[in-house]
Amino acid sequence: MLKYVLRNMWRRRARTLLTVFGIVVGIFALTVLGALSARLNQQVRGAETWFTSKISVVPSGSGLFGGSDRYLELSKVGEIEAVPGVKSAVAGFGLLLSDQSTGFGAPELIVGAELSKAQDLLNLIDLDRGRILREGDEGKVVLGSTLAEKFEADLGDTVELRGRDFEVVGVYAPTLSAPDGFAFVSYRDALDLFREVNPYFQVGDIAATIDVIPEEGVDAEELAARIGESVDGIKVISPAEAEKQISQFSLIFNAILLGIGFIALVVGGLSIINTMIMSVSERTREIGLKKAVGAETGSVLSEYLLESAMIGFFGGVIGVLAGLLAVYLLNNATSSSQVTVFSVTPTVAIGPVVFATFLGTAAGLFPALRAARLKPIEALRED
Amino acid sequence: MIVARGVTKVYRIGPTEIRAVDGLDLSIEAGEFLSIVGPSGSGKTTLLHLLGLLDAPTSGSVSVEGRETLGLSPRELTRLRREKIGFVFQEFNLLPVLNARENVELPLRYLKVPGPERHRRAMEALEMVGLSDRANNRPAQLSGGEQQRVAIARALVTNPTLVLADEPTGELDTQNTCRVIELMRNLNRETGQTFAIVTHDPMVAGYTRRVITLRDGKIASDSMGAEAELACDPEAPTI
Repeated sequence: MLKYVLRNMWRRRARTLLTVFGIVVGIFALTVLGALSARLNQQVRGAETWFTSKISVVPSGSGLFGGSDRYLELSKVGEIEAVPGVKSAVAGFGLLLSDQSTGFGAPELIVGAELSKAQDLLNLIDLDRGRILREGDEGKVVLGSTLAEKFEADLGDTVELRGRDFEVVGVYAPTLSAPDGFAFVSYRDALDLFREVNPYFQVGDIAATIDVIPEEGVDAEELAARIGESVDGIKVISPAEAEKQISQFSLIFNAILLGIGFIALVVGGLSIINTMIMSVSERTREIGLKKAVGAETGSVLSEYLLESAMIGFFGGVIGVLAGLLAVYLLNNATSSSQVTVFSVTPTVAIGPVVFATFLGTAAGLFPALRAARLKPIEALRED
Repeated sequence: MIVARGVTKVYRIGPTEIRAVDGLDLSIEAGEFLSIVGPSGSGKTTLLHLLGLLDAPTSGSVSVEGRETLGLSPRELTRLRREKIGFVFQEFNLLPVLNARENVELPLRYLKVPGPERHRRAMEALEMVGLSDRANNRPAQLSGGEQQRVAIARALVTNPTLVLADEPTGELDTQNTCRVIELMRNLNRETGQTFAIVTHDPMVAGYTRRVITLRDGKIASDSMGAEAELACDPEAPTI
C-alpha cells in the first residue's frame, strides 16, 4: 500500500513537492524557534535552581534580574540575620565582566559573595573540579563552565578579571544557565573591582543583593514575608516569586513558538487539503474502480489518509533536517564568543515531525472521507 | 445464478424522471455466455450495474446464487461483489501507477489474499489472457487490446461465478475485438464462468449464444441463436 501511495504522490510530482515544500518552510521555522526556545528554557530552568533555592533580597524598586542603580547598605545584612528562621544572609555584589554585552541570554558577571557565610549558597551549583571559595580566598576565583572554557583556564591558572589577576581554584559543572557565565569571587574583591571601574562613584560598603538561606525546616515563603515586614527599604523575592518571574520568561517564548506552530498549521494544513481534494477529484474514476472490485470504505479512506500523512511526514523530516542544519551552522558561527543560541533536545528534533505527520493526517481527513464515501457507480461515470 | 425480479431504476434529473430500467424480469443461468444489446439510453449499462450490485434498484430485487440482495448493507454488498462478480469496463480502468500484475492483484488485495499467493494467481490470470510477458509493464506501455486483456485478467483473478463486461470492445479495433471476445468465450467454455456482455456492436452480439435486446428499459427480445464462429486473423498485428 505504501509503495502504491508513494507512486500516486509521484504522479503529480510538482504539485506534491510544492505542497511538501510548504510544510518544510513551516517546520523549518518551528524547528529553529523550537531550538531557540529550548535553549532559553534551559537557561531559565537552570536559573531556577539558582534563584529558587534561596530568598533574594534586593533594593526596593529592583527586580530579580537587577534593573536599578540602587544598592543595599551592608547594615541590612545584620538586620536580616536577626529575623528568626534565617540561617545566613550573604551579601553579594555583581558587576559585568566586560562592558561589551554578549547580546544574548544572561550577561557574564563577576559575582562577589561574603565568603564567611556563603558556603550554602556556593554549594547550590555542582563543582566540576577544584573547590568552592572559602573564607580568606581573596584573589581567588571559581569559574562557571562557559567562562572556564572562554578563558581556557584550569585549576591553578591565573585569569584577568577587569584588569586584576585571580587564581582559579575551582570550576563549576555546566548548568546551561546564567551561573555558567559567572565568575565567583569574594565580596571584598568584587566591591574593590566595582570601585576601580567606577572611580567617580564613591561608595561605602554596599551590596547589590543579599541572599538568604533559611534554617532547616523553615518555610521559605513565610520567612520571606517575615523579612519583608521587619526590614525597611528592601524588596524580598521569595522562591515562589522568583519562579513566577522566571516562568514568565518561558511563557513568552513558548507563546511565540505556539504562534509560529499555529501559522504553520493553518498554512500547511490548507495546502494539504487543497492538494488532496485535487488528487481525489482527479482519481474519482480510480476510486470507483477500486470500490467496484471490492475495496471497502475503510481501505479507500486509509489510502488517502496515508497519502496526506506522507506529505506531512516528508515535509516534517526535510523541515527538521534543514532546521537542525541551520541551528548547527548558527551555533558554530557564534561558538567563538562562547554563546550558544540554540539547543537541540529530542522534543525539538522529533516533535515537529510528529506534528507535521499529525497535521497531514488531519488535513487529509476531509478529502479522504470524500473519496471513501464516493458511490462506485457515480465515481465510475465521472470523466 | 442471477435473477432480477421487476427491477426498476429511476433517475431524477431536475424535474425530469428517467426510468432507465423499467420493471424488468431476467434470469441468467450459470455458465451462460450472453450479450445485452440495444440503442443508446435503452438501459443496458444501468441493468449491468444493477446485476453487478454496483447500484441498487429503485424497486424490485436482485438475487445472486439464490441470495436475496435487497436490504444488504453496503459492506455486505461489497463483500458479495468481490467474491462473486468480476467487472470489465469499456475504458479498461486500469490504475496507471500499477503495472499489469499489480492491477490484476488488486481485487485479491481487497480479499486479503497473502502476497505470494496473490502474485501467483495474478500471474496465472495473465497467462490465461496471454500477457504473462507484459506483467511488469504499466498500462501506458500497453496497447488498447492488451490493456483490456489485463482488465479481463483482473476480472477473472478472483474466480468469480459471474463476469459482467460493459462495452469491453468499445475502444478496440476489429482484430482486438475478435481476440477479446474469443478469449472470453474460451474462458466461458473452459471454466464454466457466466459472462454477460453489454455491447452495441452486432458482431460481438453475433458471437454470443443468447442475445437480450433492451428498449426503453424493458426487454424487447430475448433470443437464443447459433453462435457465429470466431475467425480472428492470427497474423494481424496487435495495436
